[in-house]
Amino acid sequence: MTAKLSSLERSERRLGIALLAPAFALLAGVVLYPIYNLIRMSFSENKLTEPWLAKPWIGFENYAKAMGDERLWEATWHTLLYVIVTVPGAVALGLGLALLANQPFRVKWPVRLGLLLPWALPLVFAGLIFRWFFEYQQGLVNNALIWIGLSPVNWLTQEGPAFFAICVAIIWKTSSFAALVLLAGLQTIPKSLYEAAEVDGASKWQQFWEITLPMLKPAIIVALIFRTITAIQTFDIPKAMTDGGPGNATETLAMYIHKTTIDSLDFGYGSTLAVLMFIASAILTSIYLRHTRRDPSAGRH
Amino acid sequence: MTAMMKFPSAKKMTLIAGAVVAINGFFPALWILFTSLKTESELMRLPITIWPAAPTLGNYTRVFVDQPIFLFMWNSFVVAVLSTLLCVTVSALAAYALVRLRIPAPNLILSVLLAVAMFPLISLMVPLFSVMRDLQLLNTWWALVFPYAVLSMPVCTLVLISFFQDIPRDLENAAMIDGCSRIGALWHVVIPLTAPGVFTAGILAFVNAWDEFLLALTLAPRVASRTLPVGITLYQGEFSFPWPIISAALIIAIVPICIIIAVFQERVVGGLTSGGVKG
Repeated sequence: MTAKLSSLERSERRLGIALLAPAFALLAGVVLYPIYNLIRMSFSENKLTEPWLAKPWIGFENYAKAMGDERLWEATWHTLLYVIVTVPGAVALGLGLALLANQPFRVKWPVRLGLLLPWALPLVFAGLIFRWFFEYQQGLVNNALIWIGLSPVNWLTQEGPAFFAICVAIIWKTSSFAALVLLAGLQTIPKSLYEAAEVDGASKWQQFWEITLPMLKPAIIVALIFRTITAIQTFDIPKAMTDGGPGNATETLAMYIHKTTIDSLDFGYGSTLAVLMFIASAILTSIYLRHTRRDPSAGRH
Repeated sequence: MTAMMKFPSAKKMTLIAGAVVAINGFFPALWILFTSLKTESELMRLPITIWPAAPTLGNYTRVFVDQPIFLFMWNSFVVAVLSTLLCVTVSALAAYALVRLRIPAPNLILSVLLAVAMFPLISLMVPLFSVMRDLQLLNTWWALVFPYAVLSMPVCTLVLISFFQDIPRDLENAAMIDGCSRIGALWHVVIPLTAPGVFTAGILAFVNAWDEFLLALTLAPRVASRTLPVGITLYQGEFSFPWPIISAALIIAIVPICIIIAVFQERVVGGLTSGGVKG
Protein backbone atom coordinates (compact mmCIF):
# COMPACT_ATOMS: atom_id res chain seq x y z
CA MET A 1 0.00 0.00 0.00
CA THR A 2 2.71 2.46 0.99
CA ALA A 3 4.81 1.39 -1.97
CA LYS A 4 1.90 2.06 -4.32
CA LEU A 5 1.35 5.50 -2.83
CA SER A 6 4.98 6.43 -3.18
CA SER A 7 5.00 5.30 -6.79
CA LEU A 8 2.01 7.55 -7.40
CA GLU A 9 3.89 10.32 -5.65
CA ARG A 10 6.94 9.67 -7.74
CA SER A 11 4.97 9.86 -10.97
CA GLU A 12 3.35 13.10 -9.80
CA ARG A 13 6.74 14.50 -9.01
CA ARG A 14 8.02 13.54 -12.44
CA LEU A 15 5.02 15.21 -14.09
CA GLY A 16 5.55 18.29 -11.91
CA ILE A 17 9.13 18.62 -13.04
CA ALA A 18 8.04 18.13 -16.65
CA LEU A 19 5.47 20.92 -16.31
CA LEU A 20 8.04 23.26 -14.79
CA ALA A 21 10.55 22.52 -17.52
CA PRO A 22 9.18 24.89 -20.21
CA ALA A 23 9.24 27.85 -17.81
CA PHE A 24 12.82 27.16 -16.81
CA ALA A 25 13.88 26.50 -20.39
CA LEU A 26 12.51 29.91 -21.33
CA LEU A 27 14.27 31.54 -18.38
CA ALA A 28 17.50 29.80 -19.29
CA GLY A 29 17.37 31.05 -22.86
CA VAL A 30 16.14 34.58 -22.24
CA VAL A 31 17.78 35.39 -18.89
CA LEU A 32 20.44 32.95 -17.69
CA TYR A 33 22.43 32.50 -20.89
CA PRO A 34 22.39 36.25 -21.61
CA ILE A 35 23.53 36.91 -18.01
CA TYR A 36 26.47 34.56 -18.57
CA ASN A 37 27.26 36.53 -21.73
CA LEU A 38 26.84 39.81 -19.88
CA ILE A 39 29.32 38.90 -17.16
CA ARG A 40 31.83 37.62 -19.72
CA MET A 41 31.50 40.76 -21.83
CA SER A 42 31.94 42.99 -18.76
CA PHE A 43 35.51 41.69 -18.40
CA SER A 44 36.43 42.28 -22.03
CA GLU A 45 36.97 45.08 -24.42
CA ASN A 46 34.16 44.75 -26.92
CA LYS A 47 33.44 47.65 -29.22
CA LEU A 48 31.28 46.98 -32.24
CA THR A 49 32.77 50.10 -33.78
CA GLU A 50 36.14 48.37 -33.78
CA PRO A 51 35.31 44.86 -34.98
CA TRP A 52 38.92 44.11 -35.89
CA LEU A 53 39.79 43.94 -32.21
CA ALA A 54 39.45 40.39 -30.91
CA LYS A 55 37.41 41.38 -27.84
CA PRO A 56 40.40 40.89 -25.50
CA TRP A 57 39.93 39.89 -21.88
CA ILE A 58 40.90 42.88 -19.76
CA GLY A 59 39.97 41.75 -16.27
CA PHE A 60 38.60 44.43 -14.01
CA GLU A 61 39.69 47.31 -16.21
CA ASN A 62 36.09 48.23 -17.09
CA TYR A 63 35.13 48.15 -13.44
CA ALA A 64 38.07 50.39 -12.54
CA LYS A 65 37.01 52.74 -15.31
CA ALA A 66 33.46 52.80 -13.92
CA MET A 67 34.65 53.87 -10.48
CA GLY A 68 36.27 56.96 -11.98
CA ASP A 69 33.51 57.67 -14.52
CA GLU A 70 32.00 60.98 -13.55
CA ARG A 71 29.06 60.61 -15.93
CA LEU A 72 28.19 57.29 -14.29
CA TRP A 73 28.13 58.87 -10.85
CA GLU A 74 26.00 61.71 -12.15
CA ALA A 75 23.57 59.27 -13.74
CA THR A 76 23.49 57.29 -10.49
CA TRP A 77 22.78 60.46 -8.57
CA HIS A 78 19.94 61.41 -10.96
CA THR A 79 18.47 57.92 -10.67
CA LEU A 80 18.62 58.16 -6.88
CA LEU A 81 16.89 61.53 -7.02
CA TYR A 82 14.10 60.05 -9.14
CA VAL A 83 13.76 57.21 -6.62
CA ILE A 84 13.71 59.59 -3.64
CA VAL A 85 11.11 61.88 -5.21
CA THR A 86 8.87 59.60 -7.26
CA VAL A 87 8.60 56.57 -4.97
CA PRO A 88 7.01 58.38 -2.02
CA GLY A 89 5.32 60.78 -4.45
CA ALA A 90 3.59 58.06 -6.42
CA VAL A 91 2.57 56.10 -3.33
CA ALA A 92 1.24 59.25 -1.63
CA LEU A 93 -0.76 60.26 -4.71
CA GLY A 94 -1.87 56.64 -5.06
CA LEU A 95 -3.05 56.63 -1.46
CA GLY A 96 -5.00 59.82 -2.07
CA LEU A 97 -6.63 58.37 -5.17
CA ALA A 98 -7.38 55.09 -3.40
CA LEU A 99 -9.06 56.92 -0.50
CA LEU A 100 -11.14 58.98 -2.95
CA ALA A 101 -12.04 55.88 -4.95
CA ASN A 102 -13.02 53.83 -1.89
CA GLN A 103 -16.61 55.10 -1.82
CA PRO A 104 -19.93 53.43 -2.48
CA PHE A 105 -20.35 54.78 -6.01
CA ARG A 106 -23.53 53.84 -7.78
CA VAL A 107 -21.76 53.87 -11.15
CA LYS A 108 -18.37 52.29 -10.68
CA TRP A 109 -16.76 52.29 -14.12
CA PRO A 110 -15.64 55.94 -14.48
CA VAL A 111 -13.63 55.73 -11.26
CA ARG A 112 -12.23 52.30 -12.00
CA LEU A 113 -11.23 53.29 -15.52
CA GLY A 114 -9.78 56.52 -14.16
CA LEU A 115 -7.48 54.40 -12.02
CA LEU A 116 -6.70 51.90 -14.77
CA LEU A 117 -6.00 54.18 -17.70
CA PRO A 118 -2.68 55.62 -16.48
CA TRP A 119 -1.56 52.08 -15.62
CA ALA A 120 -2.48 50.78 -19.08
CA LEU A 121 -0.80 53.63 -20.93
CA PRO A 122 2.74 52.87 -22.12
CA LEU A 123 5.28 54.77 -19.99
CA VAL A 124 6.75 56.33 -23.08
CA PHE A 125 3.34 57.69 -24.13
CA ALA A 126 2.91 59.25 -20.70
CA GLY A 127 6.30 60.86 -21.33
CA LEU A 128 5.18 62.19 -24.71
CA ILE A 129 1.91 63.53 -23.31
CA PHE A 130 3.64 65.36 -20.48
CA ARG A 131 6.27 66.69 -22.87
CA TRP A 132 3.36 68.25 -24.71
CA PHE A 133 1.94 69.62 -21.43
CA PHE A 134 5.29 71.23 -20.57
CA GLU A 135 5.97 72.52 -24.08
CA TYR A 136 7.14 76.15 -23.95
CA GLN A 137 4.69 77.94 -26.24
CA GLN A 138 1.64 75.80 -26.72
CA GLY A 139 1.96 73.69 -23.61
CA LEU A 140 -0.94 73.62 -21.20
CA VAL A 141 1.23 74.33 -18.15
CA ASN A 142 2.78 77.54 -19.44
CA ASN A 143 -0.55 78.77 -20.76
CA ALA A 144 -2.10 78.14 -17.36
CA LEU A 145 0.79 80.06 -15.75
CA ILE A 146 0.22 83.00 -18.10
CA TRP A 147 -3.50 82.86 -17.45
CA ILE A 148 -3.00 83.29 -13.69
CA GLY A 149 -0.50 86.09 -14.33
CA LEU A 150 2.85 84.35 -14.01
CA SER A 151 5.58 84.15 -16.61
CA PRO A 152 6.15 80.98 -18.62
CA VAL A 153 9.03 78.63 -17.78
CA ASN A 154 11.41 76.84 -20.12
CA TRP A 155 10.53 73.53 -18.54
CA LEU A 156 12.43 71.01 -20.58
CA THR A 157 15.61 72.92 -21.34
CA GLN A 158 16.70 73.82 -17.81
CA GLU A 159 18.03 71.36 -15.29
CA GLY A 160 15.72 71.97 -12.32
CA PRO A 161 12.46 72.47 -14.21
CA ALA A 162 13.18 69.49 -16.46
CA PHE A 163 13.71 67.27 -13.43
CA PHE A 164 10.50 68.60 -11.92
CA ALA A 165 8.49 68.00 -15.10
CA ILE A 166 9.81 64.45 -15.44
CA CYS A 167 8.96 63.70 -11.81
CA VAL A 168 5.41 64.97 -12.32
CA ALA A 169 4.98 62.67 -15.32
CA ILE A 170 6.44 59.66 -13.50
CA ILE A 171 4.34 60.24 -10.40
CA TRP A 172 1.14 60.61 -12.44
CA LYS A 173 1.82 57.49 -14.46
CA THR A 174 2.97 55.22 -11.65
CA SER A 175 0.53 56.34 -8.95
CA SER A 176 -2.29 54.41 -10.57
CA PHE A 177 -0.76 51.01 -9.88
CA ALA A 178 -0.12 52.08 -6.28
CA ALA A 179 -3.72 53.27 -6.07
CA LEU A 180 -5.07 49.92 -7.30
CA VAL A 181 -2.96 48.00 -4.80
CA LEU A 182 -3.90 50.34 -1.96
CA LEU A 183 -7.59 50.32 -2.90
CA ALA A 184 -7.57 46.52 -2.71
CA GLY A 185 -5.97 46.90 0.71
CA LEU A 186 -8.56 49.44 1.84
CA GLN A 187 -11.38 47.12 0.88
CA THR A 188 -10.09 44.42 3.21
CA ILE A 189 -10.39 46.66 6.29
CA PRO A 190 -13.51 45.54 8.22
CA LYS A 191 -16.19 48.26 8.40
CA SER A 192 -16.91 47.27 12.00
CA LEU A 193 -13.62 48.86 13.06
CA TYR A 194 -14.82 52.26 11.86
CA GLU A 195 -18.26 51.76 13.37
CA ALA A 196 -16.68 50.98 16.75
CA ALA A 197 -14.42 54.04 16.46
CA GLU A 198 -17.45 56.15 15.57
CA VAL A 199 -19.22 54.97 18.69
CA ASP A 200 -16.16 55.88 20.74
CA GLY A 201 -16.32 59.38 19.26
CA ALA A 202 -13.15 59.23 17.15
CA SER A 203 -12.93 61.90 14.45
CA LYS A 204 -12.42 61.00 10.78
CA TRP A 205 -8.84 62.18 11.10
CA GLN A 206 -8.21 59.95 14.13
CA GLN A 207 -9.83 57.03 12.30
CA PHE A 208 -7.43 57.54 9.40
CA TRP A 209 -4.35 57.56 11.65
CA GLU A 210 -5.46 54.87 14.08
CA ILE A 211 -7.24 52.43 11.76
CA THR A 212 -6.67 53.05 8.05
CA LEU A 213 -2.93 53.63 8.00
CA PRO A 214 -1.94 50.76 10.33
CA MET A 215 -4.25 48.31 8.52
CA LEU A 216 -2.95 49.48 5.18
CA LYS A 217 0.71 49.17 6.12
CA PRO A 218 1.36 45.85 4.33
CA ALA A 219 -0.16 47.17 1.08
CA ILE A 220 1.79 50.43 1.40
CA ILE A 221 5.02 48.50 1.84
CA VAL A 222 4.32 46.36 -1.23
CA ALA A 223 3.53 49.49 -3.27
CA LEU A 224 6.69 51.23 -2.07
CA ILE A 225 8.96 48.30 -2.84
CA PHE A 226 7.38 47.61 -6.20
CA ARG A 227 7.70 51.27 -7.16
CA THR A 228 11.32 51.34 -6.02
CA ILE A 229 12.23 48.38 -8.20
CA THR A 230 10.73 50.08 -11.24
CA ALA A 231 12.08 53.53 -10.30
CA ILE A 232 15.72 52.46 -10.37
CA GLN A 233 15.14 51.34 -13.96
CA THR A 234 13.65 54.69 -15.02
CA PHE A 235 14.14 55.07 -18.75
CA ASP A 236 11.04 55.64 -20.88
CA ILE A 237 9.67 58.88 -19.46
CA PRO A 238 12.92 60.95 -19.38
CA LYS A 239 13.83 59.42 -22.75
CA ALA A 240 10.59 60.73 -24.24
CA MET A 241 10.64 64.09 -22.45
CA THR A 242 14.25 65.28 -22.56
CA ASP A 243 16.37 62.39 -23.86
CA GLY A 244 18.57 63.07 -20.83
CA GLY A 245 19.03 66.76 -21.56
CA PRO A 246 19.85 69.54 -21.15
CA GLY A 247 23.35 68.10 -21.45
CA ASN A 248 23.20 65.03 -19.24
CA ALA A 249 21.22 66.77 -16.52
CA THR A 250 18.28 64.34 -16.45
CA GLU A 251 20.09 61.22 -17.62
CA THR A 252 19.41 58.06 -15.60
CA LEU A 253 21.59 54.98 -15.21
CA ALA A 254 19.39 53.07 -17.62
CA MET A 255 19.71 55.82 -20.24
CA TYR A 256 23.48 55.94 -19.81
CA ILE A 257 23.71 52.16 -20.27
CA HIS A 258 21.52 52.36 -23.36
CA LYS A 259 23.63 55.15 -24.84
CA THR A 260 26.91 53.39 -24.09
CA THR A 261 25.87 50.10 -25.66
CA ILE A 262 23.33 50.82 -28.36
CA ASP A 263 24.36 54.30 -29.49
CA SER A 264 28.15 54.11 -28.93
CA LEU A 265 28.28 50.32 -29.40
CA ASP A 266 30.73 49.89 -26.50
CA PHE A 267 29.48 46.51 -25.27
CA GLY A 268 32.35 45.81 -22.91
CA TYR A 269 31.92 48.89 -20.79
CA GLY A 270 28.14 48.88 -21.22
CA SER A 271 28.06 45.34 -19.83
CA THR A 272 30.04 46.44 -16.80
CA LEU A 273 27.53 49.20 -16.16
CA ALA A 274 24.68 46.71 -16.58
CA VAL A 275 26.28 44.34 -14.06
CA LEU A 276 26.64 47.16 -11.52
CA MET A 277 23.04 48.14 -12.13
CA PHE A 278 21.92 44.54 -11.65
CA ILE A 279 23.69 44.27 -8.31
CA ALA A 280 21.91 47.39 -7.10
CA SER A 281 18.48 46.15 -8.14
CA ALA A 282 19.07 42.57 -6.94
CA ILE A 283 19.28 43.89 -3.42
CA LEU A 284 15.92 45.61 -3.81
CA THR A 285 14.29 42.65 -5.56
CA SER A 286 15.29 40.31 -2.76
CA ILE A 287 13.60 42.61 -0.27
CA TYR A 288 10.47 42.57 -2.44
CA LEU A 289 10.43 38.79 -2.68
CA ARG A 290 10.85 38.43 1.05
CA HIS A 291 7.62 40.37 1.41
CA THR A 292 5.60 38.49 -1.16
CA ARG A 293 6.90 34.96 -0.75
CA ARG A 294 4.50 32.33 0.54
CA ASP A 295 4.03 28.62 0.19
CA PRO A 296 2.14 28.07 -3.07
CA SER A 297 0.98 24.57 -2.08
CA ALA A 298 -0.42 25.75 1.25
CA GLY A 299 -3.70 27.10 -0.12
CA ARG A 300 -5.17 30.47 0.55
CA HIS A 301 -5.11 32.06 3.97
CA MET B 1 -24.06 79.39 11.46
CA THR B 2 -22.68 75.91 11.99
CA ALA B 3 -25.24 74.61 9.55
CA MET B 4 -23.85 76.92 6.86
CA MET B 5 -20.28 75.88 7.58
CA LYS B 6 -21.15 72.24 7.13
CA PHE B 7 -19.47 70.26 4.41
CA PRO B 8 -21.49 69.48 1.32
CA SER B 9 -23.66 66.43 1.78
CA ALA B 10 -22.05 63.00 1.81
CA LYS B 11 -23.61 62.23 -1.54
CA LYS B 12 -22.04 65.29 -3.13
CA MET B 13 -18.67 64.54 -1.54
CA THR B 14 -18.77 61.06 -3.00
CA LEU B 15 -19.47 62.49 -6.42
CA ILE B 16 -16.64 65.01 -6.12
CA ALA B 17 -14.22 62.30 -4.97
CA GLY B 18 -15.16 60.13 -7.92
CA ALA B 19 -14.83 63.04 -10.34
CA VAL B 20 -11.34 63.86 -9.07
CA VAL B 21 -10.17 60.28 -9.63
CA ALA B 22 -11.78 60.07 -13.07
CA ILE B 23 -10.43 63.44 -14.22
CA ASN B 24 -6.93 62.62 -12.96
CA GLY B 25 -6.98 59.44 -15.01
CA PHE B 26 -8.71 60.68 -18.15
CA PHE B 27 -7.52 64.23 -18.51
CA PRO B 28 -4.14 63.68 -20.20
CA ALA B 29 -5.66 61.31 -22.75
CA LEU B 30 -8.56 63.71 -23.36
CA TRP B 31 -6.16 66.60 -23.85
CA ILE B 32 -4.30 64.57 -26.48
CA LEU B 33 -7.64 63.73 -28.11
CA PHE B 34 -8.52 67.45 -28.33
CA THR B 35 -5.06 68.23 -29.70
CA SER B 36 -5.42 65.55 -32.34
CA LEU B 37 -8.65 67.15 -33.61
CA LYS B 38 -7.16 70.64 -34.02
CA THR B 39 -5.73 72.05 -37.18
CA GLU B 40 -2.10 73.08 -37.27
CA SER B 41 -3.03 76.74 -37.47
CA GLU B 42 -5.31 76.46 -34.47
CA LEU B 43 -2.46 74.93 -32.51
CA MET B 44 -0.22 77.89 -33.33
CA ARG B 45 -2.80 80.33 -31.98
CA LEU B 46 -2.10 81.91 -28.59
CA PRO B 47 -3.60 81.74 -26.07
CA ILE B 48 -4.28 78.10 -26.71
CA THR B 49 -7.79 76.81 -27.16
CA ILE B 50 -9.24 73.97 -25.17
CA TRP B 51 -11.98 72.64 -27.42
CA PRO B 52 -11.03 72.24 -31.06
CA ALA B 53 -12.69 75.19 -32.85
CA ALA B 54 -13.17 73.26 -36.08
CA PRO B 55 -12.65 69.57 -35.36
CA THR B 56 -10.85 67.82 -38.17
CA LEU B 57 -9.72 64.29 -38.84
CA GLY B 58 -6.90 65.57 -41.06
CA ASN B 59 -4.22 64.63 -38.54
CA TYR B 60 -5.45 61.05 -38.55
CA THR B 61 -5.16 60.75 -42.30
CA ARG B 62 -1.70 62.34 -42.07
CA VAL B 63 -0.65 59.64 -39.58
CA PHE B 64 -1.59 56.91 -42.02
CA VAL B 65 -0.04 58.69 -44.98
CA ASP B 66 3.23 59.78 -43.36
CA GLN B 67 4.04 56.70 -41.31
CA PRO B 68 3.44 52.97 -41.71
CA ILE B 69 1.28 53.04 -38.59
CA PHE B 70 -0.68 49.97 -39.66
CA LEU B 71 2.59 48.12 -39.84
CA PHE B 72 3.60 49.30 -36.35
CA MET B 73 0.22 48.21 -35.10
CA TRP B 74 0.50 44.84 -36.79
CA ASN B 75 3.97 44.32 -35.28
CA SER B 76 2.68 45.30 -31.83
CA PHE B 77 -0.31 43.01 -32.21
CA VAL B 78 1.59 39.94 -33.41
CA VAL B 79 4.32 40.32 -30.80
CA ALA B 80 1.78 40.85 -28.02
CA VAL B 81 -0.40 37.89 -29.05
CA LEU B 82 2.47 35.44 -29.52
CA SER B 83 4.22 36.43 -26.30
CA THR B 84 0.92 36.26 -24.39
CA LEU B 85 0.19 32.74 -25.64
CA LEU B 86 3.69 31.60 -24.78
CA CYS B 87 3.69 33.27 -21.39
CA VAL B 88 0.28 31.99 -20.29
CA THR B 89 0.98 28.42 -21.41
CA VAL B 90 4.32 28.25 -19.70
CA SER B 91 3.10 30.01 -16.54
CA ALA B 92 -0.04 27.86 -16.27
CA LEU B 93 1.95 24.64 -16.43
CA ALA B 94 4.42 25.92 -13.87
CA ALA B 95 1.72 27.27 -11.55
CA TYR B 96 -0.18 23.98 -11.69
CA ALA B 97 2.95 22.01 -10.86
CA LEU B 98 3.70 24.33 -7.95
CA VAL B 99 0.19 24.18 -6.49
CA ARG B 100 -0.86 20.58 -7.09
CA LEU B 101 1.98 18.22 -7.84
CA ARG B 102 4.13 17.27 -4.91
CA ILE B 103 7.39 18.65 -6.17
CA PRO B 104 10.13 19.26 -3.64
CA ALA B 105 10.50 22.80 -2.24
CA PRO B 106 7.76 24.56 -4.26
CA ASN B 107 8.40 27.72 -2.30
CA LEU B 108 12.04 27.86 -3.26
CA ILE B 109 11.29 27.04 -6.90
CA LEU B 110 8.74 29.84 -7.09
CA SER B 111 11.20 32.29 -5.56
CA VAL B 112 13.90 31.31 -8.03
CA LEU B 113 11.46 31.60 -10.93
CA LEU B 114 10.34 35.06 -9.83
CA ALA B 115 13.85 36.28 -9.06
CA VAL B 116 15.21 35.19 -12.45
CA ALA B 117 12.22 36.49 -14.39
CA MET B 118 12.49 39.84 -12.59
CA PHE B 119 16.07 40.40 -13.67
CA PRO B 120 16.16 44.10 -14.58
CA LEU B 121 15.35 44.62 -18.25
CA ILE B 122 17.95 47.31 -18.65
CA SER B 123 20.72 44.91 -17.60
CA LEU B 124 19.26 42.17 -19.76
CA MET B 125 19.01 44.44 -22.78
CA VAL B 126 22.78 44.55 -23.32
CA PRO B 127 23.43 40.80 -23.61
CA LEU B 128 20.07 40.16 -25.31
CA PHE B 129 21.17 42.47 -28.07
CA SER B 130 24.33 40.46 -28.68
CA VAL B 131 22.54 37.10 -28.35
CA MET B 132 19.82 38.13 -30.81
CA ARG B 133 22.48 39.53 -33.10
CA ASP B 134 24.33 36.22 -33.10
CA LEU B 135 21.07 34.40 -33.81
CA GLN B 136 20.26 36.96 -36.51
CA LEU B 137 16.95 37.65 -34.83
CA LEU B 138 17.40 41.43 -34.45
CA ASN B 139 14.52 43.30 -36.06
CA THR B 140 12.26 40.24 -36.03
CA TRP B 141 9.17 39.52 -33.95
CA TRP B 142 10.99 36.68 -32.18
CA ALA B 143 13.55 39.05 -30.67
CA LEU B 144 10.65 40.49 -28.66
CA VAL B 145 8.28 37.53 -28.25
CA PHE B 146 10.57 35.47 -25.99
CA PRO B 147 11.70 38.31 -23.69
CA TYR B 148 8.12 39.59 -23.38
CA ALA B 149 6.93 36.14 -22.34
CA VAL B 150 9.48 36.27 -19.53
CA LEU B 151 8.55 39.85 -18.68
CA SER B 152 4.99 38.81 -17.75
CA MET B 153 5.87 35.46 -16.23
CA PRO B 154 5.93 36.67 -12.59
CA VAL B 155 2.50 38.30 -12.64
CA CYS B 156 0.92 35.50 -14.71
CA THR B 157 2.35 32.77 -12.50
CA LEU B 158 1.17 34.50 -9.33
CA VAL B 159 -2.33 35.12 -10.73
CA LEU B 160 -2.64 31.53 -11.90
CA ILE B 161 -1.35 30.13 -8.62
CA SER B 162 -4.07 31.98 -6.74
CA PHE B 163 -6.71 30.66 -9.16
CA PHE B 164 -5.47 27.06 -9.00
CA GLN B 165 -5.51 27.22 -5.22
CA ASP B 166 -9.24 27.94 -5.34
CA ILE B 167 -10.10 24.74 -7.18
CA PRO B 168 -11.05 21.97 -4.79
CA ARG B 169 -8.67 19.02 -5.04
CA ASP B 170 -11.68 16.66 -4.80
CA LEU B 171 -12.92 17.69 -8.22
CA GLU B 172 -9.73 16.51 -9.84
CA ASN B 173 -9.59 13.39 -7.73
CA ALA B 174 -13.14 12.57 -8.78
CA ALA B 175 -12.21 12.99 -12.42
CA MET B 176 -9.18 10.77 -11.94
CA ILE B 177 -11.23 8.10 -10.21
CA ASP B 178 -13.59 8.25 -13.20
CA GLY B 179 -10.65 7.26 -15.33
CA CYS B 180 -9.06 10.55 -16.35
CA SER B 181 -5.30 10.80 -16.32
CA ARG B 182 -3.63 13.67 -14.46
CA ILE B 183 -3.24 15.59 -17.73
CA GLY B 184 -6.82 14.66 -18.63
CA ALA B 185 -8.03 16.06 -15.31
CA LEU B 186 -6.00 19.21 -15.90
CA TRP B 187 -7.46 19.66 -19.36
CA HIS B 188 -11.11 18.70 -18.68
CA VAL B 189 -11.59 19.93 -15.12
CA VAL B 190 -8.95 22.40 -14.01
CA ILE B 191 -8.50 24.49 -17.15
CA PRO B 192 -12.25 25.14 -17.72
CA LEU B 193 -12.60 26.13 -14.07
CA THR B 194 -9.61 28.44 -14.21
CA ALA B 195 -10.54 29.95 -17.56
CA PRO B 196 -11.16 33.32 -15.88
CA GLY B 197 -7.70 33.15 -14.32
CA VAL B 198 -6.04 32.17 -17.56
CA PHE B 199 -7.90 34.98 -19.26
CA THR B 200 -6.88 37.53 -16.62
CA ALA B 201 -3.26 36.46 -16.89
CA GLY B 202 -3.53 36.76 -20.66
CA ILE B 203 -4.87 40.32 -20.52
CA LEU B 204 -2.08 41.43 -18.19
CA ALA B 205 0.56 39.82 -20.40
CA PHE B 206 -0.96 41.43 -23.49
CA VAL B 207 -0.96 44.91 -21.98
CA ASN B 208 2.63 44.49 -20.75
CA ALA B 209 3.77 43.47 -24.21
CA TRP B 210 1.77 46.18 -25.98
CA ASP B 211 3.34 48.84 -23.72
CA GLU B 212 6.99 47.75 -23.65
CA PHE B 213 9.45 50.25 -25.04
CA LEU B 214 13.08 49.66 -24.03
CA LEU B 215 13.55 46.21 -25.59
CA ALA B 216 11.50 47.13 -28.64
CA LEU B 217 13.70 50.16 -29.16
CA THR B 218 16.86 48.11 -28.72
CA LEU B 219 16.09 44.81 -30.42
CA ALA B 220 13.77 45.91 -33.24
CA PRO B 221 14.67 49.49 -34.16
CA ARG B 222 14.33 49.17 -37.94
CA VAL B 223 11.25 50.92 -39.30
CA ALA B 224 9.72 47.75 -40.71
CA SER B 225 9.91 45.95 -37.39
CA ARG B 226 9.00 48.78 -35.01
CA THR B 227 6.18 48.38 -32.53
CA LEU B 228 3.78 51.25 -31.81
CA PRO B 229 5.61 52.79 -28.82
CA VAL B 230 8.88 52.88 -30.76
CA GLY B 231 7.28 53.95 -34.02
CA ILE B 232 5.52 56.89 -32.43
CA THR B 233 8.39 58.02 -30.20
CA LEU B 234 10.87 57.98 -33.08
CA TYR B 235 8.41 59.89 -35.25
CA GLN B 236 10.35 63.03 -35.93
CA GLY B 237 9.24 65.85 -38.10
CA GLU B 238 11.76 67.65 -40.18
CA PHE B 239 12.41 70.46 -37.71
CA SER B 240 10.13 69.97 -34.80
CA PHE B 241 7.87 67.43 -33.23
CA PRO B 242 4.56 67.51 -35.20
CA TRP B 243 2.28 67.52 -32.17
CA PRO B 244 -1.13 67.25 -33.85
CA ILE B 245 0.00 64.22 -35.83
CA ILE B 246 1.75 62.67 -32.82
CA SER B 247 -1.45 63.18 -30.84
CA ALA B 248 -3.50 61.42 -33.48
CA ALA B 249 -1.00 58.56 -33.54
CA LEU B 250 -1.13 58.31 -29.74
CA ILE B 251 -4.92 58.12 -29.81
CA ILE B 252 -4.80 55.39 -32.44
CA ALA B 253 -2.29 53.46 -30.33
CA ILE B 254 -4.16 53.70 -27.04
CA VAL B 255 -7.66 52.93 -28.35
CA PRO B 256 -7.08 49.14 -28.38
CA ILE B 257 -5.72 49.25 -24.83
CA CYS B 258 -8.66 51.42 -23.70
CA ILE B 259 -11.12 48.95 -25.16
CA ILE B 260 -9.41 46.04 -23.42
CA ILE B 261 -9.35 47.69 -20.01
CA ALA B 262 -12.90 49.01 -20.41
CA VAL B 263 -14.32 45.60 -21.29
CA PHE B 264 -12.29 43.62 -18.75
CA GLN B 265 -11.83 46.22 -16.03
CA GLU B 266 -12.85 44.02 -13.12
CA ARG B 267 -10.59 41.20 -14.23
CA VAL B 268 -7.64 43.51 -14.77
CA VAL B 269 -8.01 45.08 -11.33
CA GLY B 270 -8.47 41.68 -9.70
CA GLY B 271 -5.48 40.21 -11.50
CA LEU B 272 -3.20 43.14 -10.80
CA THR B 273 -3.96 43.21 -7.12
CA SER B 274 -3.81 39.44 -6.67
CA GLY B 275 -0.44 39.39 -8.42
CA GLY B 276 0.80 42.37 -6.47
CA VAL B 277 -0.61 42.22 -2.99
CA LYS B 278 -1.38 38.65 -2.12
CA GLY B 279 1.24 37.41 -4.56
